[in-house]
Amino acid sequence: MEPLTLAIPTGRLFAEAAALLQQLGLLTAVPRERTLVFPASNGRRVLIAKPADILTYVEQGAADAGIVGKDMLLEQERDVYELVDVGFGFCRGVVALPEAQLDRWRHPGTLLRIATKYPHITSRFFERERRPVEIVELHGSVELAPRVGLADGIVDLVMTGQTLRDNLLTEVAEVFQSSARLVVNRVSLRTKATLVQPLVEQMKSAAAAGAR
Amino acid sequence: MRVRNGVNRRWQHVPEGVRDLAPPEAARHSALAAAVRGEFQRWGYAEVRTPPVEYLETIVRGAGPGIQDHLFKIVDSGGALLVLRPEMTVPIARLAATRLLPGAAPGRPLRLCYVAEVFRGQETGRSQLRAFTQAGVELLGEGTLDADAEVIALAATCLRRAGVTDAVVHVGHLGFLDDLLAALPTDAQDDIRARLYRKEFAGIEHAIPDPSLAGLLRLLPDLHGEGALARAGPFATSARSRAALRDVEALVARLRDYGVADVVRVDLSIIRDFSYYTGVVFEAYGAGSGYPLLGGGRYDTLLDRFGADCPATGFALGLDRVLSVLPADSGAPTAVLLAADPERRPEAIQLAMELRRGGVPVLASVATDDAMLQAQQDGHRWVVRMTGEGIVLWDPRTATQRPVDRATLLAVLRAPSDDRVIEWSH
Repeated sequence: MEPLTLAIPTGRLFAEAAALLQQLGLLTAVPRERTLVFPASNGRRVLIAKPADILTYVEQGAADAGIVGKDMLLEQERDVYELVDVGFGFCRGVVALPEAQLDRWRHPGTLLRIATKYPHITSRFFERERRPVEIVELHGSVELAPRVGLADGIVDLVMTGQTLRDNLLTEVAEVFQSSARLVVNRVSLRTKATLVQPLVEQMKSAAAAGAR
Repeated sequence: MRVRNGVNRRWQHVPEGVRDLAPPEAARHSALAAAVRGEFQRWGYAEVRTPPVEYLETIVRGAGPGIQDHLFKIVDSGGALLVLRPEMTVPIARLAATRLLPGAAPGRPLRLCYVAEVFRGQETGRSQLRAFTQAGVELLGEGTLDADAEVIALAATCLRRAGVTDAVVHVGHLGFLDDLLAALPTDAQDDIRARLYRKEFAGIEHAIPDPSLAGLLRLLPDLHGEGALARAGPFATSARSRAALRDVEALVARLRDYGVADVVRVDLSIIRDFSYYTGVVFEAYGAGSGYPLLGGGRYDTLLDRFGADCPATGFALGLDRVLSVLPADSGAPTAVLLAADPERRPEAIQLAMELRRGGVPVLASVATDDAMLQAQQDGHRWVVRMTGEGIVLWDPRTATQRPVDRATLLAVLRAPSDDRVIEWSH
């Protein structure tokens, strides 16, 4: 059997994901974020990829398992097993508008132009809310869009709310809640069960211990 | 021959998610299709063809409304909505229920097979093929475990025949979980089913009040392999869920008779993508593919949607997926390269035609200085050179040549070949 390959994301979740793998004894040293493939204990490999690419690696089987934010799972709707809430990276996705636009939110029939990294989630949310929307897809610094007139508001992740306050944005609705998840390829779950299952159990215990 | 490389224009490309098959890929594809088709025929399955377009209504009636987001749609001249078929089970159910079963002898099962290109309107940017080939069988009119065993054994045999040496077939039963979920209130049931369909297991146990069922759902992704039936046993609290487990056990026993039990694993965690499955379900996996190589199962209520009450089971094998896990070979080249000087061309053509009539593949070309090199590069078995001085037979494998007369030449070239392609071509 091929050894297990685990994908972890750069960025927001990287430090905690690497620390978790270290705690579980999978990694002996924390790799630098720029490393791409890192050999881990027992022949396992750890692969470091952009958050938006983790699910592609896992769905196609290039990685057997991965750690990824729930936000990506909701946005991309890939065919992977979501098995464990690993208990870090908590954040919320919200609709936020500048003061001047708040009045338009109070009239649900008004068309809003929303900048976001989550076009799919955003369009489903506005559909569910029966509010007309025009989506501007961005890949970063979403909070700038209303300031420069690119959009009326944003849908983005918030942790403390500081970025929103810095940019004079007010949360008007919660769209989703997110935390890091362990995902597994549907074939690896079965053909590499002897490698995958211990990992799942370890992560479940680690998450339970973290929650206490 | 020169190819001009101009600017990047749309007419130089094919749309996203579809592709050309050039040599030797197309030959590998056809050879695999022929191998699988041959296996189907050896088990008594008769080939059917259905049109690549169907009414949207037909496909939705068979596969459920959830399929609508995954279809290639076409508006017909009269305004009717047509779709490119996303799979073959529903079109064959339509064909069987409306045309084949009404005229068939009562009680006699129908065994049908197909090799067909199917189409999915995947979201762009997903890098998945939107047109791919499936080869499969449908066994209609037999609701027994013997029928389930036959199609599973045939599936395993097809993979073996295709050359997938490490394939495993996981066999489960939807009735086990389905019946336990049916006891839940409708809201909770819909929620759990949606989560299962998305394979979202994190936190699933908190979504139901029943602690036993919560325990089962927590265990479900690992409910396969050795001891799976024993571990599932305590959760099977209803008659139907117990029957499902008994069926799986009996099925595995029957698969021993086919000599495929060594590649079969019990797997109660299988959730298939199509909503028409009702009982035994199975998927096959091989190293090198993150997706199942084939999948299938029992769908006893599908034909009823087209007006025929008839139990059925079958599977579809993804030809492109199987090819992706097989070692890439260079394909089978034409056996004989016949290179003749222009003045011997008429004679060479006659010789080529005679060989072809005898079943020997011949590529006839103009004699060039690099014919030997070409033969070695392209893998021809023999090179025949016809010049003013006579006929020379060259063997690229040994790099030896000898002058021959026509009778000797015909005898050597017609000798049976051990090439795999010969076996696959009939």
